[in-house]
Amino acid sequence: MNMMPKQELDPVTFEVLKNSFITSVDQMAEQMLRTCYSFVIYNRDFSNGLHDAEGNCVAQGNSDIAVHVGTLHHTCKEVIRFFKGDMYPGDVYAINDPYAGGTHFSDVRLIRPIFDEEELIGFSQSNGHWSDLGGSVPGSFNVTAHEMFGEAVRITPIRLFHKGRFCADVANMIAANTRDPASIIGDIHSQAQATQVAERELQRLVGKYGRDQVTQGMDAVQDYVERAVRQRIRDLPDGTWEAVDYIDRDPGAGEGMIPIHIKMTIKGEEITYDFEGSHATIASIYNSAPGATFSAVVAGMKTFFPDLPLNSGFYRMVEVKAPANSVVSAQWPVAVTGFLMPFEKIMNAIFEMWSQIMPERAIACAFNLEYLLAGGNDLRKPDKPIYMFYEWLPGGWGGRNGKDGSDVTTACFGTGLMSQPSEGNERVNPTRADEFQIMQDSPGPGKWRGGAGVIKASTLLEAENTVMSYICDRERAVVWGVEGGLPSMPHGLMVEHVDTGEEEWLGSVFSNYKIKSGDKFTRPTAGGGGYGDPMERDPEHVLNDVIDEYVSVKRAELDYGVVIRVNDADMLDYEIDHAATEKARAHIRANRVGWARMDPEEVSQMYRKGKINEMDAVRKYAVILDWGTGELMPKSTAQFRESFEKRSVSHWS
Amino acid sequence: MTKTRVAVDVGGTFTDVCIMDEDTGQIRIEKTPSTPDDPMRAIMTGISDAGIDLADVTMFSHGTTVATNALITRKLPRAAMVCTEGFRDVVEIRRSNKEDLWDTYKDVAKPYIPRRDRLTVKERIDAAGKVITELDEAEARRVARILKKRDVKAIAVCFINSYVNGDHEVRMRDILRAEMPDVHISISSQIMPEIFEHERFSTTMVNAVVSPVVVDYVSRLGDKLAEGGYTRDLLLLHTGGGVMTPASVKDFAARLAGSGIAAGALASRFIGNLCGYENSIGFDMGGTSTDVSLCFQGNSTVTKDWYIEYGYPIRFPSIEVLTIGAGGGSLAWKDEGGSLRNGPQSAGAFPGPACYSNGNEVATNSDANVVLGRLGHSLAGGDITLDAGLAEKAIRETVAAPFDMELHEAAEAVIDVANANMANAVRLLSISRGHDPRDFALVAFGGAGALHGAAVAKELSIPVVIVPPNPGVTSAMGCLLVDIQHDFSDSFMADASQTVPEDLEAAFARIEKEAVDRLRHEDVAPENTVLQRTVEMMYQGQWRSLAVSAPATITSTEDLVRGFHDEHEREYNFRREDAPVSIFRVGVKATGVVQKAELPSFEVTPHAPDPASQRDVWFKGKSCRTDVYDRATMKAGAEFTGPAIVEQVDSTVVVPPGATAKIDQYMNILIRVKD
Repeated sequence: MNMMPKQELDPVTFEVLKNSFITSVDQMAEQMLRTCYSFVIYNRDFSNGLHDAEGNCVAQGNSDIAVHVGTLHHTCKEVIRFFKGDMYPGDVYAINDPYAGGTHFSDVRLIRPIFDEEELIGFSQSNGHWSDLGGSVPGSFNVTAHEMFGEAVRITPIRLFHKGRFCADVANMIAANTRDPASIIGDIHSQAQATQVAERELQRLVGKYGRDQVTQGMDAVQDYVERAVRQRIRDLPDGTWEAVDYIDRDPGAGEGMIPIHIKMTIKGEEITYDFEGSHATIASIYNSAPGATFSAVVAGMKTFFPDLPLNSGFYRMVEVKAPANSVVSAQWPVAVTGFLMPFEKIMNAIFEMWSQIMPERAIACAFNLEYLLAGGNDLRKPDKPIYMFYEWLPGGWGGRNGKDGSDVTTACFGTGLMSQPSEGNERVNPTRADEFQIMQDSPGPGKWRGGAGVIKASTLLEAENTVMSYICDRERAVVWGVEGGLPSMPHGLMVEHVDTGEEEWLGSVFSNYKIKSGDKFTRPTAGGGGYGDPMERDPEHVLNDVIDEYVSVKRAELDYGVVIRVNDADMLDYEIDHAATEKARAHIRANRVGWARMDPEEVSQMYRKGKINEMDAVRKYAVILDWGTGELMPKSTAQFRESFEKRSVSHWS
Repeated sequence: MTKTRVAVDVGGTFTDVCIMDEDTGQIRIEKTPSTPDDPMRAIMTGISDAGIDLADVTMFSHGTTVATNALITRKLPRAAMVCTEGFRDVVEIRRSNKEDLWDTYKDVAKPYIPRRDRLTVKERIDAAGKVITELDEAEARRVARILKKRDVKAIAVCFINSYVNGDHEVRMRDILRAEMPDVHISISSQIMPEIFEHERFSTTMVNAVVSPVVVDYVSRLGDKLAEGGYTRDLLLLHTGGGVMTPASVKDFAARLAGSGIAAGALASRFIGNLCGYENSIGFDMGGTSTDVSLCFQGNSTVTKDWYIEYGYPIRFPSIEVLTIGAGGGSLAWKDEGGSLRNGPQSAGAFPGPACYSNGNEVATNSDANVVLGRLGHSLAGGDITLDAGLAEKAIRETVAAPFDMELHEAAEAVIDVANANMANAVRLLSISRGHDPRDFALVAFGGAGALHGAAVAKELSIPVVIVPPNPGVTSAMGCLLVDIQHDFSDSFMADASQTVPEDLEAAFARIEKEAVDRLRHEDVAPENTVLQRTVEMMYQGQWRSLAVSAPATITSTEDLVRGFHDEHEREYNFRREDAPVSIFRVGVKATGVVQKAELPSFEVTPHAPDPASQRDVWFKGKSCRTDVYDRATMKAGAEFTGPAIVEQVDSTVVVPPGATAKIDQYMNILIRVKD
């Protein structure tokens, strides 16, 4: 087997160019962080790429957000298609088109052609999530949209700089369609300059090594990654793996979860992902266009190859097939702004399949991302300016083989993303956080428990015209465990009305909900799913979790069968009752299969009577209810139970 | 009886005691094996071995790794945190991101204070500083009693929005102190009065957990020195590049968290300045890693973005040092994609490079240097013998054969990859921050710095390399060359166009008073006090601020804004004259100037030195007959051209073909690199 590099570059020049390409995109990232306006970019929702003259990705930043992986080359190629033969040094183009390989409208990419003298040798691309792109909802997330019209401004390839001259007319037209024009212009400059950083670096390399060697190097680094991936895939057994995960619902249809089905086939050094069996597009923004679906596949798979650099060499190894007009292959004008929901389902399904191939890197389901968006007028300031409050929370990742899940971590679609400080939010927006802490009992129980989620409660301060939207999922497709591990918990947003003192359950997805000053809104995030049978968890680990209050004394017994006596909580004096533990575990083992198959209607009754809570419903009885009214969701329950039997029950001894 | 100054740098392997004669400026070094269980033992041994009478010492300064090691190994006393109700987990939630985005099995470490020891009390202050909920004193006293029973040794008090109003934190501290008079208490409004709770809490937490360790160490060392007759204050090098006295260590122990790292950067800055280069890059290459630092217009670059463990920022200003895994012992290897890699894995001090004959068979940078003839056959004045045969075997087997190369070609490839990696690190600190390397000198030190310095400089178009007289012990010297220095800052959030100079003056007056008080507390005379102001600004809507230096008397806000536009353009390549500018923070660096002795200077008589020997050294695929000089016998004014090798006890200097070298009045070797 020939393992020698097929590039003709000498190994030193190759290694130097490879590292320099990566350094150049890292330099772009540094510049963006220091000059950006969008706080979403500031919290690291961005990515940068260096491309060859055909638009293939040569290097993508190692700290870039996962969700942009495998999409930059698509938008670069689209720009080339538009402007071929009409590109000049000093040009910069923009695109945010999800139907041409982008992700969603908020992610705006600025692309600069790089020339050596007259010759086009490559492109640099800077992709950042802008704070607003217009449409009917602040932050441009209108969950009720079915089509893109009114969601946000769609930017097909446009020219923002012409031979170094800023095209203020075009830029202003875009900015004027948003709620935050000054920041939009600022971010255009910030990103345009970031692309210049890579241009300077590439031209320096050309000056040193010559054009031919550099362009050859751009090919060679892609070949290099492809070789490494092929090598690893070849070393794996051939086979077929299948996984299904769900989106909670189609608001345009009745109750019932929306399946995303993936079949992965490894044959020799080829790998294919087939989405046959996935649901048709749905009447919400939770659809994914083909470019974003490809990205989800790559991001999921890359998790099992953490050390490899990212470029088109990786991407061309992966083949994705999807039925037309499915929830993972939406076409214009189907709304796709919430593509992150299918995205994370795909990632987790891929985690599940690869966990079987590489058990040493196995991981259960991670919590679902969530965004809270609110906007209105801030009455704390004399001129009552428009404010936009846009917040996301961390949660728990899945339990692992020999290790608990990672606690309070950013969502898997973008682990580089930072959560925002409460003090910053309180200063900028009329909201005050009342509570922001780890959510006790959120980790999915398992021999290795999931990571912990959080709970955050805030009060709306002096404001008017405030509407709120919430973008989340897995209220029904609850974060699952594997290898006998248990799910985390259902979740959604609760509002406590200041005038009546009443609580209202709003669930995990809603848009344009009016709230008043003094109203309090609370929502948790899920923990990760458990890995392995919770009855096999070392009671000492349960004890430690109880002492640290990750797990309550009550749920230690319910979920783990570990009975703990509290001697003196002030002195952290807790003790395992071993005899009672043995008895509790025997009881659970003897009855749990029956519980998991109990008549769902009966479970719904117990819930309505307050005898059980939503954790009991999913962990013990595997039943999905309307968590506000307690009404049974028969179809969702059937789907949930099918997965629960496979992932949990079948592994119990 | 001569007066001396003593600086001590405690490293992992050796403790270097650097002694300077105050009259002559002569420096000598005493090396003693470190004693990690109690670093003080090695220090006292070194002092006694060097024959120092502590009564003659006029200044004793010390770079210590005590705090760093305690944090890395987590050998920390039990500490607790008291937080606002509902915000117990700020330090665990952090910013929730990970250092390694893709490796799902690599987690961020847990906070230094576990959840069980983070307690809360009812209280809340809003963003404007107004009390929303009074501090529940009964609850506060209950918490104090619990923590007393738990016998914690340190407490961090961290309340939301305390950066605008620290009253509740102060009250909480008093309640805790009444219950536990001997416990270290750090309150966030005093440690780091800045917005953003995690960064402030984290800094306060680090300060609390290292306090008992550091204060104990410093007071024991101070006592020991006093017993020996030392009458002045013990000076401790802090991460910001100045020194502080034990009086300040008591309150700001975490400022010593990177004490040992700063010394090399300071020495490099000093040497650069001495040779007339206000702009210099420190290149400190050792056995396993290389530390790169940058000095621009006489000042080291400083960052507030650093940590010992990822996720737990320490927001005290820190000299910026970029460390990469490239050193003499870094391994060369071929990865599965067929690429030649270098480091970050290292053969370490043991077994070390193949040529050390301790059993390692994988090629390292040192082996490549031996094969190329750049390193001779012994090190450390003959204490270590290098086996050229083993070096050659390692290069042949791990590089030449897999890549189908000739022996010397393979060795040069190893070195070229290492040099390119190090050049990239320098690039990140220089070019990507808007600095042009052609305006800099490279100060090459550490055991391997001078072997690679000229090649790295050439790669970056840096025209001059400076190799100090004792490259292997340059860091220790850094501790001798510093002033007392403290940093103060305060939030100042305002629209620049709405800000009159009087507002800024009032803000500066507050922190400058604090600064002057602190220096008085450390017995700095008024004539030795220097205050330098900065104003941090940003374009309205941006998220990161940029510090611009401000005059001692501010007469015009417009001038400051102009300075901001200029700095923004230099750093980021664009300016927005028409965009509104916000002020974010004001800062003061307070320096108590310490009289520094001068290094000895020698008469420079230009001459051609006599080589001690000659040997074949490979450069660019060719073997060249090369002069080898013995640095110990060389004199100021010596001028020679490359290819040349200069050997000395603690280092080897490579002067490549085409370069010229001379020895200046301070016995530095200045190498001019030609393109």
